[in-house]
Amino acid sequence: MYTVATGHAYQSTLYTWVGGEAVPYELTFGILLDQLSTLMLVIVSLISFLVHVFSLGYMNDEDEGGLARYYAELGLFSASMLGFVFADNLLMAFMFFELVGLCSYLLIGFWFREAGPPSAAKKAFLVTRFGDYFFLIGVVAVFATFGTAAFGGPGVEESFPHLAELALDGEASVNTFGFAPSTWFTIVGLLVLGGVMGKSAQFPFHTWLPDAMEGPTPVSALIHAATMVAAGVYLVARMYGFYALSPTALGVIAFVGGFTALFAATMGVVKREIKQVLAYSTISQYGYIMLALGGGGYVAGVFHLTTHAVFKALLFLGAGSVIIAMHHNENMWDMGGLKDEMPVTYYAFLSGSLALAGIVPFSGFWSKDEVLFETLIHGLGDSPLLLGAYAMGLLAVFFTGFYTFRMVLLTFHGEPRSDTARDPHGVRWNVKVPLVVLGTLAAVVGVINLTPVHTLVPAVPEFLHDWLFHGPEGLNGEHYEELLHDFAGYTKGYPLGETLTMLASAAVSLGLALAGAGLAVALYRGPEPVEHTDKLGALKTVLFNNYYQDEFQVWLAEGLTARVAGAADTVDVSGIDGVVNFVSSLSLFTGDRLRRVQTGIVSNYAALLTLGLTILLVAFGVMQGWFL
Amino acid sequence: MAVPVQYYLVLSAFVFCVGLFGVLTRRNALLFLMSVELMLNAANINFVAFSYYHGNLTGQVFSLFTMALAAAEVAVGIGIILVLYRNFADVDVTTATTLRW
Repeated sequence: MYTVATGHAYQSTLYTWVGGEAVPYELTFGILLDQLSTLMLVIVSLISFLVHVFSLGYMNDEDEGGLARYYAELGLFSASMLGFVFADNLLMAFMFFELVGLCSYLLIGFWFREAGPPSAAKKAFLVTRFGDYFFLIGVVAVFATFGTAAFGGPGVEESFPHLAELALDGEASVNTFGFAPSTWFTIVGLLVLGGVMGKSAQFPFHTWLPDAMEGPTPVSALIHAATMVAAGVYLVARMYGFYALSPTALGVIAFVGGFTALFAATMGVVKREIKQVLAYSTISQYGYIMLALGGGGYVAGVFHLTTHAVFKALLFLGAGSVIIAMHHNENMWDMGGLKDEMPVTYYAFLSGSLALAGIVPFSGFWSKDEVLFETLIHGLGDSPLLLGAYAMGLLAVFFTGFYTFRMVLLTFHGEPRSDTARDPHGVRWNVKVPLVVLGTLAAVVGVINLTPVHTLVPAVPEFLHDWLFHGPEGLNGEHYEELLHDFAGYTKGYPLGETLTMLASAAVSLGLALAGAGLAVALYRGPEPVEHTDKLGALKTVLFNNYYQDEFQVWLAEGLTARVAGAADTVDVSGIDGVVNFVSSLSLFTGDRLRRVQTGIVSNYAALLTLGLTILLVAFGVMQGWFL
Repeated sequence: MAVPVQYYLVLSAFVFCVGLFGVLTRRNALLFLMSVELMLNAANINFVAFSYYHGNLTGQVFSLFTMALAAAEVAVGIGIILVLYRNFADVDVTTATTLRW
């Protein structure tokens, strides 16, 4: 810890499980502790601890069965996630990545006797596995190209991002399979990105996350909001030195992120269940992190990752508290008026909501603003394509503000709309303590990176920025910025001057967030709010059905893949098997006919013998010319 | 007054054909065996005739071997016919067809 805090890093290889003279590379387990991974360790451990405490209230006090299984799986999840963060090479990261996915499957399907959870668990598993398939190919490609998959760090001789950098400079040669190095690195980067998009629920692999809400709410908070989905974007940040070399990969990341942010936010607007709204906001927020990383804002991405982990865990735990109170009814239209009944939950939830919507001075404002600002200035520099991604991200701010406050107003304000809401179930200390801790953090965690304030008043420190910029050689933000500038061609453009551009960007995003929140307040305030979604007409149906993404994927599986498989099956059965069967039936048929020669009657054999002899004699005679 | 060798050959061919006719037409296993004996003896006649014609005793000696062989063959054949009779209560060769497919 001390080593990392003083700007160094710790790396050590613990175990070599494939290696030696005969193989060209070594497969190892090792740990890498640098500024990024220690930050992530703090996040994961903190959220995980609070979720365990919360689980005491959500699971134990509710007399759920299978508690031993629940806590074992939760513990396995925390262990795999920490292992993933510790990993010092891509293969080890991949293994723990898969373990995390397994835990997600187990925990989503925790109530496996009901109809929904097992199906949702399978869906989550299959969708993320589809992405991980590309990731695995990417890992193999990295090994084949560089002969090592180490991320870097002081104890490593050669790391693959560094080798890639040298190869692009022409100072080292790697096996690029006949492609130009830059093309090949882009391909490898995009392959790994497949796993990232699956795990971080980016379009088009986002469909599993809303369904994953079938699991227990603390699980949703831990896995599907704060940590596991963070594994995807963390991986991008971890190997940022590699992505920064490829402008194409960065562009794809930025566009996927920006699009997902907007796309998911629009779906969150119409949902009725509190957890569904949060699920879509999670997808949307991870879109922002991807946007930041793709847009060249390494620090911004990590910053948003941090703040989002805090406020989204808070919101989910708040929702969990509400769900306990509502006797496991999640429909927001049955709630209302919970503000007076559960003040602790309300104020904590409000803090998280303000952070999510990006209202100053809550943490979400600082991070989201920096995300958008970084993308904007790089877009205004030499990469105008980023402006498209920026526009989508900006528009999503409005929707975020809207659905967040719609959720708050429907849940906590107005008159109770059902009997359970009138007399909610109380919650105990083990629910309240995590909410209070996270609620406070959600409000203040932004101070770790007050970049806008730092620009205006240099005396205000920007801790996270300094922290990430003073990492070990090749793994720090400063190095990444050089790479972005040299290889990806990202330059910063300030049309209004640095300070003014920053203030303008902040003002626009804050204005949009306030406008969204204001619209929600205008539509849903008062004691008896009414549903306004019907006014959207056909659009509402489309949004309610999640743009028919599920149907599209089912069609892809049943309509397309199953038909192609059916056609292939027909060819196999009638064509290939047909030839084999024809040959065998031909033998069977001729054998059956031929065996009738064997009558078993001795006289016939004798006759045949005589006949044969005669024919032979005649034949010999004709050939020898006896009869001429 | 020597009998020309062609006469022996004609006799031999005649005896052989009688044997062959018996094998092809009879159904009684015993007659079968007798017909086979006729065919063997036709061959013996040939041996002896050619032996005399060439003034070489090998053929006559060979016919003695053939007769010994024929005796052994008849012994085996009669044994088979006995078993045949026990199993099928008949010595008709066309009834014993169960050893085929």
